Amino acid sequence: MNFDLSDEQQVISDLAAQIFSGQSTVDRVIDVESGDGFDRALWNELAKAGLLGLCLPEEFGGLNMNMVELVLVLEQQGKTVASVPLWSTSVASMAIAEYGSKELQSNLLSEVVEGKNVVALALANYGANDVMNPSVLAEDSEGGVKLSGGKPAVGFAPHASHVLVSAKRADDSIVLALVDLKASGVTITPVEASNRQPTANIDFDVVVPNTHIVAGLQGNGREALRWVHEHALVGLCALQLGISQGAIGIMSEHVKTRTQFNKPLSAQQAVAVRAADQYVTTEAIRVTTLNAAWRMAEGFDARQDVLVAMYWATEGGHSIVIACQHLHGGIGADISYPVHRYFLWGIQISTELGGASQHLSRLGKLIASR
Amino acid sequence: MSMHIGDSPEEAAFRAEARAWLSQHASPRSEDGGSWHDDLDAHSIACKKWQRVLFDNGWAGLSWPKQFGGRGGSHLQESIFNEEQAKFDTHTGLFAVSLGMVGPTLMAHGTPEQQEEFLPKMLSGEHVWCQLFSEPNAGSDLANVATRAIEDGDDFIVNGQKVWTSMGQYADYGILLTRTEPDAPKHKGITYFIVDMKTPGIEVRPLVQMTGVAHFNEVFLTDVRIPKANIVGGLHGGWAVANTTLTSERGFIGGGSSSWSVDELIDFARERGLDKDPVVRGKLAECYARAQTLTYLGYRLRTAASNRTMPGPEMFVMKLAYARHWSRTMDVAMDIAGAHGMISGDAAGDALHWQHNLLGQFAIRLGGGTNEVQQNIIGERGLGLPREPSVDRDQPWRSLAKG
Repeated sequence: MNFDLSDEQQVISDLAAQIFSGQSTVDRVIDVESGDGFDRALWNELAKAGLLGLCLPEEFGGLNMNMVELVLVLEQQGKTVASVPLWSTSVASMAIAEYGSKELQSNLLSEVVEGKNVVALALANYGANDVMNPSVLAEDSEGGVKLSGGKPAVGFAPHASHVLVSAKRADDSIVLALVDLKASGVTITPVEASNRQPTANIDFDVVVPNTHIVAGLQGNGREALRWVHEHALVGLCALQLGISQGAIGIMSEHVKTRTQFNKPLSAQQAVAVRAADQYVTTEAIRVTTLNAAWRMAEGFDARQDVLVAMYWATEGGHSIVIACQHLHGGIGADISYPVHRYFLWGIQISTELGGASQHLSRLGKLIASR
Repeated sequence: MSMHIGDSPEEAAFRAEARAWLSQHASPRSEDGGSWHDDLDAHSIACKKWQRVLFDNGWAGLSWPKQFGGRGGSHLQESIFNEEQAKFDTHTGLFAVSLGMVGPTLMAHGTPEQQEEFLPKMLSGEHVWCQLFSEPNAGSDLANVATRAIEDGDDFIVNGQKVWTSMGQYADYGILLTRTEPDAPKHKGITYFIVDMKTPGIEVRPLVQMTGVAHFNEVFLTDVRIPKANIVGGLHGGWAVANTTLTSERGFIGGGSSSWSVDELIDFARERGLDKDPVVRGKLAECYARAQTLTYLGYRLRTAASNRTMPGPEMFVMKLAYARHWSRTMDVAMDIAGAHGMISGDAAGDALHWQHNLLGQFAIRLGGGTNEVQQNIIGERGLGLPREPSVDRDQPWRSLAKG
């Protein structure tokens, strides 16, 4: 038993911390937010450091690491609310490396590692947002698969070259397709995202060539979607872990320095106790996320572990960002003060691939039906 | 009279009368009836229009005495009317401060001249009021206000900064807390003024919130001249007056008609295909149970108000429970919202309404005293716990270190 990070993992974590905290300062975040929402300079730094190929095979220039390392990097992104498509690009490219054809891999992955390709991830669905029940329809056609239907709130779709889309055939089998966003038959409608990241709804009426069908041609679509879903969820947990720490950092500083009744707010026990509770919840997100990531990296069944982590990241993360906002009093309501970004991100992550109820329902089914 | 939870025959008759009148003068509440958030100008115009309709038809100031232009009804009738009014597309928020806070304060502490001059125009909707209480260094510790008022002939000259002034950009008048005696302990050197917002030296700067709307404002006062006749509750006597205002604020936050209901949340779950999910059902049921509690807490408060007994800790219980209910219900709403919960703006559809209420929860949990302030008061007045020893109650305000 050893829950500590290896030396190599610590190096990755420190490297990511250095890049994100060095580049994605509050001023920089504000600049990017008022521009097109994509911090390309930071994206290039991440590419230079090799972090865009963190979990990709060495033959494409990747570092051949795994989910634990990706968690460590996404955690650092969350701490600084840096606006880069690291989550979607990493998870989608890992899926291509795991399931995609050699041709697709060699066409795409080196460019991902170099920072040339941004890949969006369209797993969420309209309505009840059940990831395992995609709302886009897939139909086999000559040399490819025809996709029809829409996907909501796809992060970074306005800047991405490709999107990994989940779709369902009439017989309920699943297809994962990598769609070129410049293809005709793909309509991108930008929408405002709660967390201010560049986002769009996408409508598909397009035939995706078989070379770009990542999974689902040989009946492995459902398994591949579960794989992508689990990796995406743990990635969100990692972001939420960072968001929670970022929010708590700003909040602690505030309650230490804000004086009311002639003493710092933190000297009020109600404030100190509430602040401490947020720390406890953050550590719950941390240990459950690391456990899930480790099990996935080792190739063990991690279905329950992912859902436990996701429960803490959604229910717990949501309550952390609300508490941090609350402990700022009125000051937190003013958007020229930075804490609100953590609130908006925290809420968004809690919603992205289903809310806490959904994760609890699924976890309940798994543990009670044994 | 024996206990009876529900309308008496007289109250039922009053409810029917109110409903009949409302249905003639307003349209039924639409799906997005509470969603005025994006356009404060339009909201403000709609509020003024509706207040005028109420006034012209004798429904304004339902529980206010007739001598002040009110209808002379009971608090219970007012609550019944508000419940019925909430079922219609009516806009009232602009007057929350005027009618909910300033009116009751002036009735209790104002001079006859002030009452005569200001109360009728509040009721007719001619004047909008705002609250100039909080300052950058006087939030929970409101008695620490530092805005200075210095006597000059028949006037006072005021300098300072206020913040979190709801709808200040639309206000004609404000109620203002100032420091008039820095050498007295902090609660004893405060004077409460009525200020005409058009007085030279007042600058209102909107603060944009996460919803993208500037509901709150900063207000800067530079050499603002206020006549002595505008003092409410006597020189240095402002703290007691401020407490009347704050009690009213808690009352209306706690008992206020919401821009949402649990029934609407259940519909929202149904539209998203989540109404059959047992976990979602459990959460909806919790929201429903909390809403029921609030209804009965409200009935109990109104009974107390009708019997003219001073509200005890029940008021603070109500305000705290309401803030928690609001917050928790929005958690559930976001849980239900699905992918639309990630989108703001029109593309979010129905989810936008819930997002705005999620983002708006901080006004409810912070306004009129934070949840923690309510809990302290409940501990002291409800449980009789000793007051926390304070270092600053009896020292001259001037000698306290300024945060």
